[in-house]
Amino acid sequence: MVNSSIKLKDKAVKRAISTLRKDKRVEAVNLGVIANELDVSLEVLQTYYSSAEDIFIKAQKKDWDSLHRYWDKRIKKAKTPGDYKDAFDSFFERFVETLSKDADLMLDMSCYLPACIKYREWNRNKVRKKFSSLIKKGWPGKDDKVLERQTELITIVFYGFIDHVVHLNKDERIKSLRDFRNMINLHLQDRKFF
Amino acid sequence: MDKKTKNKVRIIEKTFESVKRDNKGIANTSLLAVAEELSMPYEELTSFFLTIEDIYLNEQQRNNIKVEEFLESGLSKIKTPNDAKELFEDCIKMFVESLPDHSGVVWAATPFLPKCLEEKKRMKSYLKKTFKRIIKRGWPGKIEPVLDRQTDLVVLSFYGLYEFCTRANKKTRKAILNDFINMLNLHLQDRLFF
Repeated sequence: MVNSSIKLKDKAVKRAISTLRKDKRVEAVNLGVIANELDVSLEVLQTYYSSAEDIFIKAQKKDWDSLHRYWDKRIKKAKTPGDYKDAFDSFFERFVETLSKDADLMLDMSCYLPACIKYREWNRNKVRKKFSSLIKKGWPGKDDKVLERQTELITIVFYGFIDHVVHLNKDERIKSLRDFRNMINLHLQDRKFF
Repeated sequence: MDKKTKNKVRIIEKTFESVKRDNKGIANTSLLAVAEELSMPYEELTSFFLTIEDIYLNEQQRNNIKVEEFLESGLSKIKTPNDAKELFEDCIKMFVESLPDHSGVVWAATPFLPKCLEEKKRMKSYLKKTFKRIIKRGWPGKIEPVLDRQTDLVVLSFYGLYEFCTRANKKTRKAILNDFINMLNLHLQDRLFF
Protein backbone atom coordinates (compact mmCIF):
# COMPACT_ATOMS: atom_id res chain seq x y z
CA MET A 1 0.00 0.00 0.00
CA VAL A 2 2.78 2.40 1.03
CA ASN A 3 4.81 1.39 -2.01
CA SER A 4 1.94 1.89 -4.39
CA SER A 5 1.18 5.32 -3.01
CA ILE A 6 4.85 6.31 -3.35
CA LYS A 7 4.83 5.00 -6.91
CA LEU A 8 1.69 6.94 -7.73
CA LYS A 9 3.15 10.13 -6.29
CA ASP A 10 6.37 9.67 -8.26
CA LYS A 11 4.42 9.05 -11.44
CA ALA A 12 2.32 12.17 -10.87
CA VAL A 13 5.47 14.27 -10.45
CA LYS A 14 6.95 12.77 -13.64
CA ARG A 15 3.75 13.51 -15.58
CA ALA A 16 3.62 17.07 -14.30
CA ILE A 17 7.24 17.63 -15.30
CA SER A 18 6.81 16.09 -18.71
CA THR A 19 3.78 18.34 -19.39
CA LEU A 20 5.76 21.33 -18.27
CA ARG A 21 8.73 20.36 -20.44
CA LYS A 22 6.40 20.04 -23.44
CA ASP A 23 4.11 23.05 -22.95
CA LYS A 24 6.39 25.44 -21.04
CA ARG A 25 3.32 26.63 -19.13
CA VAL A 26 2.43 25.78 -15.54
CA GLU A 27 -1.22 26.32 -16.41
CA ALA A 28 -1.03 23.31 -18.71
CA VAL A 29 -0.38 21.03 -15.72
CA ASN A 30 -3.79 19.78 -14.70
CA LEU A 31 -4.64 17.26 -11.97
CA GLY A 32 -7.59 15.85 -13.94
CA VAL A 33 -5.44 15.17 -16.98
CA ILE A 34 -2.69 13.60 -14.87
CA ALA A 35 -5.23 11.37 -13.09
CA ASN A 36 -6.55 10.25 -16.46
CA GLU A 37 -3.09 9.48 -17.78
CA LEU A 38 -2.25 7.50 -14.65
CA ASP A 39 -5.53 5.66 -14.85
CA VAL A 40 -6.70 6.66 -11.39
CA SER A 41 -9.65 8.79 -10.36
CA LEU A 42 -9.21 12.47 -9.66
CA GLU A 43 -10.34 11.82 -6.07
CA VAL A 44 -7.51 9.33 -5.54
CA LEU A 45 -4.94 11.77 -6.89
CA GLN A 46 -6.41 14.54 -4.78
CA THR A 47 -5.71 12.55 -1.61
CA TYR A 48 -2.04 13.28 -2.34
CA TYR A 49 -2.11 16.60 -4.18
CA SER A 50 -4.57 19.46 -3.95
CA SER A 51 -3.31 21.28 -7.08
CA ALA A 52 -0.58 21.36 -9.69
CA GLU A 53 1.34 23.75 -7.47
CA ASP A 54 1.07 21.22 -4.65
CA ILE A 55 2.82 18.60 -6.81
CA PHE A 56 5.80 20.88 -7.31
CA ILE A 57 6.03 22.14 -3.75
CA LYS A 58 5.93 18.59 -2.35
CA ALA A 59 8.58 17.42 -4.81
CA GLN A 60 10.74 20.40 -3.91
CA LYS A 61 10.36 19.71 -0.18
CA LYS A 62 11.09 16.01 -0.61
CA ASP A 63 14.41 16.71 -2.36
CA TRP A 64 15.51 19.29 0.19
CA ASP A 65 14.39 17.25 3.21
CA SER A 66 16.51 14.37 2.01
CA LEU A 67 19.49 16.66 1.47
CA HIS A 68 19.12 18.23 4.92
CA ARG A 69 18.87 14.81 6.57
CA TYR A 70 22.12 13.72 4.95
CA TRP A 71 23.79 17.00 5.84
CA ASP A 72 22.61 16.94 9.47
CA LYS A 73 24.09 13.46 9.94
CA ARG A 74 27.47 14.73 8.74
CA ILE A 75 27.27 17.81 10.97
CA LYS A 76 26.32 15.70 14.00
CA LYS A 77 29.40 13.51 13.59
CA ALA A 78 31.79 16.47 13.17
CA LYS A 79 34.17 17.26 16.03
CA THR A 80 37.18 19.12 14.62
CA PRO A 81 37.46 22.11 12.21
CA GLY A 82 38.51 19.61 9.54
CA ASP A 83 35.31 17.59 10.12
CA TYR A 84 33.18 20.73 9.83
CA LYS A 85 34.93 21.68 6.60
CA ASP A 86 34.22 18.19 5.29
CA ALA A 87 30.57 18.51 6.29
CA PHE A 88 30.43 21.83 4.47
CA ASP A 89 31.98 20.29 1.35
CA SER A 90 29.82 17.19 1.54
CA PHE A 91 26.70 19.32 1.24
CA PHE A 92 27.73 20.62 -2.19
CA GLU A 93 28.82 17.17 -3.34
CA ARG A 94 25.57 15.58 -2.28
CA PHE A 95 23.58 18.42 -3.79
CA VAL A 96 25.16 17.93 -7.20
CA GLU A 97 25.09 14.12 -7.03
CA THR A 98 21.38 14.02 -6.30
CA LEU A 99 20.29 16.62 -8.87
CA SER A 100 17.81 15.05 -11.24
CA LYS A 101 17.82 15.58 -14.98
CA ASP A 102 14.75 17.75 -14.50
CA ALA A 103 16.40 19.95 -11.90
CA ASP A 104 16.21 22.91 -14.29
CA LEU A 105 12.40 22.78 -14.34
CA MET A 106 12.19 22.27 -10.59
CA LEU A 107 14.32 25.38 -10.17
CA ASP A 108 12.09 27.37 -12.53
CA MET A 109 9.05 26.32 -10.51
CA SER A 110 10.70 27.27 -7.24
CA CYS A 111 11.18 30.81 -8.58
CA TYR A 112 7.70 31.12 -10.05
CA LEU A 113 4.90 29.48 -8.05
CA PRO A 114 3.96 31.48 -4.93
CA ALA A 115 4.04 28.52 -2.51
CA CYS A 116 7.33 27.33 -3.98
CA ILE A 117 8.85 30.80 -3.72
CA LYS A 118 7.82 30.95 -0.07
CA TYR A 119 9.38 27.56 0.63
CA ARG A 120 12.51 28.51 -1.32
CA GLU A 121 12.93 31.60 0.85
CA TRP A 122 12.41 29.62 4.03
CA ASN A 123 14.85 26.97 2.91
CA ARG A 124 17.40 29.54 1.82
CA ASN A 125 17.44 30.85 5.39
CA LYS A 126 17.82 27.33 6.72
CA VAL A 127 20.77 26.67 4.40
CA ARG A 128 22.26 30.04 5.30
CA LYS A 129 22.11 29.27 9.03
CA LYS A 130 23.85 25.95 8.51
CA PHE A 131 26.51 27.59 6.35
CA SER A 132 27.10 30.13 9.11
CA SER A 133 27.46 27.49 11.80
CA LEU A 134 29.78 25.35 9.66
CA ILE A 135 31.95 28.29 8.59
CA LYS A 136 32.28 29.36 12.23
CA LYS A 137 33.46 25.92 13.29
CA GLY A 138 35.37 24.97 10.16
CA TRP A 139 37.23 28.25 9.73
CA PRO A 140 37.50 29.47 13.34
CA GLY A 141 38.73 32.91 14.37
CA LYS A 142 36.46 35.07 12.25
CA ASP A 143 34.65 37.86 14.05
CA ASP A 144 30.87 37.92 13.89
CA LYS A 145 30.64 40.62 11.25
CA VAL A 146 33.05 38.86 8.93
CA LEU A 147 31.21 35.61 9.50
CA GLU A 148 27.92 37.29 8.65
CA ARG A 149 29.21 38.90 5.46
CA GLN A 150 31.03 35.83 4.24
CA THR A 151 28.01 33.64 4.90
CA GLU A 152 25.82 35.99 2.86
CA LEU A 153 28.27 35.85 -0.03
CA ILE A 154 28.54 32.06 0.07
CA THR A 155 24.76 31.81 0.01
CA ILE A 156 24.52 34.21 -2.92
CA VAL A 157 27.07 32.37 -5.01
CA PHE A 158 25.59 29.01 -4.07
CA TYR A 159 22.24 30.09 -5.49
CA GLY A 160 24.02 31.37 -8.60
CA PHE A 161 25.73 27.98 -8.79
CA ILE A 162 22.36 26.23 -8.65
CA ASP A 163 21.08 28.32 -11.56
CA HIS A 164 24.21 27.36 -13.51
CA VAL A 165 24.63 23.70 -12.66
CA VAL A 166 21.04 22.58 -13.32
CA HIS A 167 21.56 23.37 -17.00
CA LEU A 168 24.68 21.20 -17.31
CA ASN A 169 25.06 17.49 -17.97
CA LYS A 170 26.35 15.17 -15.24
CA ASP A 171 30.06 15.34 -16.16
CA GLU A 172 30.02 19.08 -16.53
CA ARG A 173 28.26 19.40 -13.18
CA ILE A 174 31.10 17.59 -11.43
CA LYS A 175 33.77 19.73 -13.10
CA SER A 176 31.90 22.90 -12.24
CA LEU A 177 31.48 21.74 -8.64
CA ARG A 178 35.24 21.29 -8.27
CA ASP A 179 35.93 24.87 -9.37
CA PHE A 180 33.09 26.25 -7.31
CA ARG A 181 34.33 24.55 -4.14
CA ASN A 182 37.84 25.84 -4.74
CA MET A 183 36.55 29.36 -5.17
CA ILE A 184 34.59 29.38 -1.93
CA ASN A 185 37.41 27.70 -0.03
CA LEU A 186 39.78 30.43 -1.13
CA HIS A 187 37.25 33.01 -0.01
CA LEU A 188 36.80 31.42 3.41
CA GLN A 189 40.54 31.15 4.05
CA ASP A 190 40.60 34.93 4.20
CA ARG A 191 40.06 35.27 7.95
CA LYS A 192 39.96 39.05 8.21
CA PHE A 193 38.14 39.57 4.95
CA PHE A 194 39.72 42.79 3.69
CA MET B 1 9.83 62.91 -21.17
CA ASP B 2 7.38 63.15 -24.10
CA LYS B 3 3.77 62.01 -23.83
CA LYS B 4 4.36 58.78 -25.71
CA THR B 5 7.21 57.73 -23.42
CA LYS B 6 5.19 58.74 -20.36
CA ASN B 7 2.34 56.49 -21.44
CA LYS B 8 4.71 53.62 -22.09
CA VAL B 9 6.17 53.99 -18.60
CA ARG B 10 2.65 54.14 -17.10
CA ILE B 11 1.73 50.86 -18.81
CA ILE B 12 4.87 49.14 -17.57
CA GLU B 13 4.46 50.36 -14.02
CA LYS B 14 0.78 49.51 -13.86
CA THR B 15 1.38 46.00 -15.21
CA PHE B 16 3.97 45.15 -12.59
CA GLU B 17 1.99 46.84 -9.86
CA SER B 18 -0.99 44.70 -10.82
CA VAL B 19 1.03 41.46 -10.94
CA LYS B 20 2.61 42.19 -7.56
CA ARG B 21 -0.56 43.46 -5.87
CA ASP B 22 -2.66 40.38 -6.45
CA ASN B 23 0.16 37.88 -6.67
CA LYS B 24 -1.77 36.53 -9.61
CA GLY B 25 1.01 35.73 -12.05
CA ILE B 26 1.29 36.43 -15.74
CA ALA B 27 -1.40 34.01 -16.88
CA ASN B 28 -4.04 35.95 -14.96
CA THR B 29 -2.90 39.39 -16.02
CA SER B 30 -4.30 40.85 -19.22
CA LEU B 31 -3.57 43.91 -21.29
CA LEU B 32 -7.27 44.68 -21.25
CA ALA B 33 -7.32 44.83 -17.45
CA VAL B 34 -4.21 47.04 -17.46
CA ALA B 35 -5.85 49.37 -20.00
CA GLU B 36 -8.96 49.59 -17.83
CA GLU B 37 -6.94 50.35 -14.71
CA LEU B 38 -5.15 53.11 -16.58
CA SER B 39 -8.35 54.40 -18.20
CA MET B 40 -6.47 54.14 -21.47
CA PRO B 41 -8.06 52.94 -24.72
CA TYR B 42 -7.03 49.35 -25.41
CA GLU B 43 -5.94 50.32 -28.95
CA GLU B 44 -3.58 52.91 -27.54
CA LEU B 45 -2.03 50.38 -25.16
CA THR B 46 -1.56 47.82 -27.92
CA SER B 47 0.26 50.40 -30.01
CA PHE B 48 3.06 49.95 -27.43
CA PHE B 49 2.74 46.29 -26.46
CA LEU B 50 0.89 43.42 -28.05
CA THR B 51 1.20 40.97 -25.16
CA ILE B 52 2.10 40.93 -21.46
CA GLU B 53 5.19 39.00 -22.47
CA ASP B 54 6.29 42.01 -24.56
CA ILE B 55 6.18 44.18 -21.44
CA TYR B 56 8.39 41.76 -19.52
CA LEU B 57 10.77 41.49 -22.45
CA ASN B 58 10.93 45.25 -22.79
CA GLU B 59 11.99 45.56 -19.15
CA GLN B 60 14.53 42.80 -19.38
CA GLN B 61 16.03 44.25 -22.55
CA ARG B 62 16.11 47.76 -21.15
CA ASN B 63 18.31 46.57 -18.25
CA ASN B 64 20.48 44.45 -20.48
CA ILE B 65 21.05 47.15 -23.08
CA LYS B 66 22.17 49.53 -20.35
CA VAL B 67 24.82 47.03 -19.24
CA GLU B 68 25.90 46.25 -22.80
CA GLU B 69 26.31 49.90 -23.71
CA PHE B 70 28.25 50.51 -20.52
CA LEU B 71 30.57 47.57 -21.20
CA GLU B 72 31.09 48.29 -24.90
CA SER B 73 31.87 51.92 -24.25
CA GLY B 74 34.21 50.97 -21.38
CA LEU B 75 35.98 48.31 -23.42
CA SER B 76 36.84 50.77 -26.15
CA LYS B 77 38.60 52.98 -23.59
CA ILE B 78 40.67 50.34 -21.78
CA LYS B 79 44.41 50.93 -21.92
CA THR B 80 45.83 49.35 -18.76
CA PRO B 81 44.95 46.32 -16.58
CA ASN B 82 43.69 48.76 -13.97
CA ASP B 83 41.24 50.27 -16.47
CA ALA B 84 39.87 46.77 -17.12
CA LYS B 85 39.56 46.03 -13.40
CA GLU B 86 37.76 49.31 -12.89
CA LEU B 87 35.36 48.60 -15.73
CA PHE B 88 34.58 45.18 -14.25
CA GLU B 89 33.80 46.67 -10.84
CA ASP B 90 31.86 49.64 -12.19
CA CYS B 91 29.75 47.41 -14.39
CA ILE B 92 28.62 45.29 -11.44
CA LYS B 93 27.91 48.42 -9.40
CA MET B 94 25.97 50.05 -12.22
CA PHE B 95 23.94 46.90 -12.84
CA VAL B 96 22.91 46.52 -9.20
CA GLU B 97 22.21 50.21 -8.64
CA SER B 98 20.01 50.48 -11.71
CA LEU B 99 17.86 47.39 -11.03
CA PRO B 100 14.23 48.55 -10.83
CA ASP B 101 11.95 47.62 -7.92
CA HIS B 102 9.97 45.18 -10.04
CA SER B 103 13.05 43.24 -11.16
CA GLY B 104 11.94 40.32 -8.93
CA VAL B 105 8.72 39.91 -10.89
CA VAL B 106 10.61 39.87 -14.18
CA TRP B 107 13.22 37.45 -12.82
CA ALA B 108 10.58 34.99 -11.60
CA ALA B 109 8.65 34.95 -14.86
CA THR B 110 11.63 34.66 -17.21
CA PRO B 111 11.72 30.83 -17.41
CA PHE B 112 8.11 30.73 -18.58
CA LEU B 113 8.20 33.44 -21.19
CA PRO B 114 9.97 32.08 -24.27
CA LYS B 115 11.16 35.48 -25.51
CA CYS B 116 12.48 36.37 -22.04
CA LEU B 117 14.18 33.03 -21.67
CA GLU B 118 15.92 33.56 -25.01
CA GLU B 119 16.96 37.03 -23.90
CA LYS B 120 18.37 35.65 -20.63
CA LYS B 121 20.41 33.07 -22.56
CA ARG B 122 21.64 35.70 -24.98
CA MET B 123 22.68 38.04 -22.16
CA LYS B 124 24.42 35.27 -20.23
CA SER B 125 26.41 34.35 -23.29
CA TYR B 126 27.22 38.02 -23.97
CA LEU B 127 28.39 38.48 -20.38
CA LYS B 128 30.53 35.37 -20.54
CA LYS B 129 32.25 36.57 -23.71
CA THR B 130 32.68 40.13 -22.48
CA PHE B 131 33.74 39.32 -18.91
CA LYS B 132 36.31 36.96 -20.38
CA ARG B 133 37.78 39.80 -22.47
CA ILE B 134 37.87 42.08 -19.44
CA ILE B 135 39.39 39.46 -17.13
CA LYS B 136 42.04 38.67 -19.74
CA ARG B 137 43.09 42.31 -19.84
CA GLY B 138 42.61 43.12 -16.17
CA TRP B 139 44.30 40.03 -14.76
CA PRO B 140 46.80 39.12 -17.49
CA GLY B 141 48.86 35.93 -17.61
CA LYS B 142 46.13 33.37 -17.18
CA ILE B 143 46.17 30.40 -19.51
CA GLU B 144 43.05 29.86 -21.65
CA PRO B 145 41.43 26.98 -19.67
CA VAL B 146 41.88 28.91 -16.39
CA LEU B 147 40.42 31.99 -17.99
CA ASP B 148 37.40 29.98 -19.15
CA ARG B 149 36.80 28.31 -15.80
CA GLN B 150 37.20 31.51 -13.82
CA THR B 151 34.88 33.37 -16.19
CA ASP B 152 32.23 30.69 -15.67
CA LEU B 153 32.50 31.16 -11.92
CA VAL B 154 32.30 34.93 -12.23
CA VAL B 155 29.19 34.70 -14.41
CA LEU B 156 27.42 32.24 -12.11
CA SER B 157 28.30 34.41 -9.11
CA PHE B 158 26.98 37.44 -10.96
CA TYR B 159 23.66 35.69 -11.54
CA GLY B 160 23.56 34.69 -7.86
CA LEU B 161 23.97 38.35 -6.97
CA TYR B 162 21.36 39.31 -9.55
CA GLU B 163 18.81 36.96 -8.00
CA PHE B 164 19.63 38.14 -4.49
CA CYS B 165 19.21 41.78 -5.50
CA THR B 166 15.84 41.21 -7.15
CA ARG B 167 14.51 40.26 -3.71
CA ALA B 168 16.44 42.77 -1.65
CA ASN B 169 15.76 46.44 -1.01
CA LYS B 170 18.15 49.11 -2.30
CA LYS B 171 20.00 49.44 1.03
CA THR B 172 20.70 45.71 1.29
CA ARG B 173 21.77 45.60 -2.37
CA LYS B 174 24.29 48.35 -1.76
CA ALA B 175 25.62 46.76 1.42
CA ILE B 176 26.57 43.51 -0.29
CA LEU B 177 28.08 45.07 -3.39
CA ASN B 178 31.60 45.85 -2.13
CA ASP B 179 31.97 42.47 -0.44
CA PHE B 180 30.88 40.75 -3.62
CA ILE B 181 33.37 42.66 -5.75
CA ASN B 182 36.15 41.98 -3.23
CA MET B 183 35.38 38.29 -3.31
CA LEU B 184 35.61 38.17 -7.10
CA ASN B 185 38.83 40.16 -7.01
CA LEU B 186 40.39 37.66 -4.65
CA HIS B 187 39.27 34.85 -6.90
CA LEU B 188 40.69 36.51 -10.02
CA GLN B 189 44.02 37.28 -8.39
CA ASP B 190 44.67 33.55 -8.31
CA ARG B 191 46.51 33.30 -11.60
CA LEU B 192 47.07 29.57 -11.76
CA PHE B 193 43.73 28.62 -10.21
CA PHE B 194 44.79 25.45 -8.39
